[in-house]
Amino acid sequence: MLIRIEKGSAVPISSQIAEQIAMQCAAGKLLAGHRLPSVRELARELAVNQNTILRVYERLVREGLLEMRHGQGTFVAEDSKGRSRTAHRKRLDKEFRQLARQGIALGLSADDLHEILSAAIEQLQRAAKTETGVSS
Amino acid sequence: MIEPAIEFFDVSKAFRKQQVLRDTTFRVERGRTFAFLGRNAAGKTTAISIMMGLLKQDAGKVRVLGLDPATEHVEVRRSVGYLAEDQTIYGWMRCDEILRFMAPFYPSWDHQLALKYAEDFDVPLATKIKHLSKGQNVRLGLVLALAHRPELVILDDPALGLDPIMRKQFNRDLITHLQGEGRTVFYSSHLLYEVEPVADEIAILDAGRIIRQADTEKLRRDVKQIVLSSDALAYLPSELRILDHRQDGGDAALIVEQAEAVEERLASEGIEHRVVDLNLDEIFEAYVTGKRTPIAAMQRIAGTSDSLSRG
Repeated sequence: MLIRIEKGSAVPISSQIAEQIAMQCAAGKLLAGHRLPSVRELARELAVNQNTILRVYERLVREGLLEMRHGQGTFVAEDSKGRSRTAHRKRLDKEFRQLARQGIALGLSADDLHEILSAAIEQLQRAAKTETGVSS
Repeated sequence: MIEPAIEFFDVSKAFRKQQVLRDTTFRVERGRTFAFLGRNAAGKTTAISIMMGLLKQDAGKVRVLGLDPATEHVEVRRSVGYLAEDQTIYGWMRCDEILRFMAPFYPSWDHQLALKYAEDFDVPLATKIKHLSKGQNVRLGLVLALAHRPELVILDDPALGLDPIMRKQFNRDLITHLQGEGRTVFYSSHLLYEVEPVADEIAILDAGRIIRQADTEKLRRDVKQIVLSSDALAYLPSELRILDHRQDGGDAALIVEQAEAVEERLASEGIEHRVVDLNLDEIFEAYVTGKRTPIAAMQRIAGTSDSLSRG
């Protein structure tokens, strides 16, 4: 499990770790049943307080992404992918709202905003197509 | 009830006419990693010297592991691992000699551990102390502070002589050896981004007073910046504590405590606003040098400028 901590960030360290684990569940990089490093191991690796790691694990257990099996460790839960998607969807909602607000403040119309979003999606699709085109 | 590792109650200290600590009060519970933050000359080193029995307070009560450092400083020195800010050790000794020299002072000295730390921290054992660089001196001091496996460690700015790689190694050692074994760590620092991942709790000392003590994560959730229109200031509760405020045109940016309650209030009034998360540096800055204006005064100012622009 690869996690990067940005020191001095406005995002608290616990949120940085929780979001990266959730993201990896959503992307299917962490599969159901996968065993996570112990609190001690991850704390040492990241040089982060053990209590912080423990609270992150506990929070993700409450959100249904992870499960703690007594005496065995912490594992990625069944259906973590679906659950993390729901959580991400909520976050995206918020980010889109923020972007829309900025756009309106800049004097863009609803149509302009839709256009920007469509263009971005199109660009990604085109990039995906050329990628598969090259590999095939 | 277990007594706290460190307790300061209404402690004052002055040097001649200069008041350094004023009614300083805080407590450090056992097993916690506690960071003591403050600008230069805020009184951190004075407070630490009082803990170690090197200075005596003018007034107030101090307890370290239940001991009074003013009368029981020998016991305090024996059970606490201490790193001074400006450690001066016998320059004519070699590093390995000072390790052997210090061992008999501490019943719990672990020489294998001393040698391991010396290796981890790149302390050249065969070199005379007077020939060490500043950073090497700090690291030798750390080895001496940790090698007797003290229950409480008091470090006056340990990061000072360490480069980024060593700081990370030091943080790791602190997490696995000290936190992992349930020991108490009290350390002062000016590198806030280094403190955040490690400390359970922080206290901000400014001009000799503790102006905030809180769990690190709780502080991050509690103190935020809120950006709203100046006209909306009137809807804020008058008892709100504002740490810093800036105003530009029709916008006001406030750094507030109890951000969650403020957000709820604004949301329930239907007031458009933006909440900005702050990093620890910004929070510290707001406490120490923030522009404080009572909310009522700001509301008045916002009111007048409003009526002026209309008139």
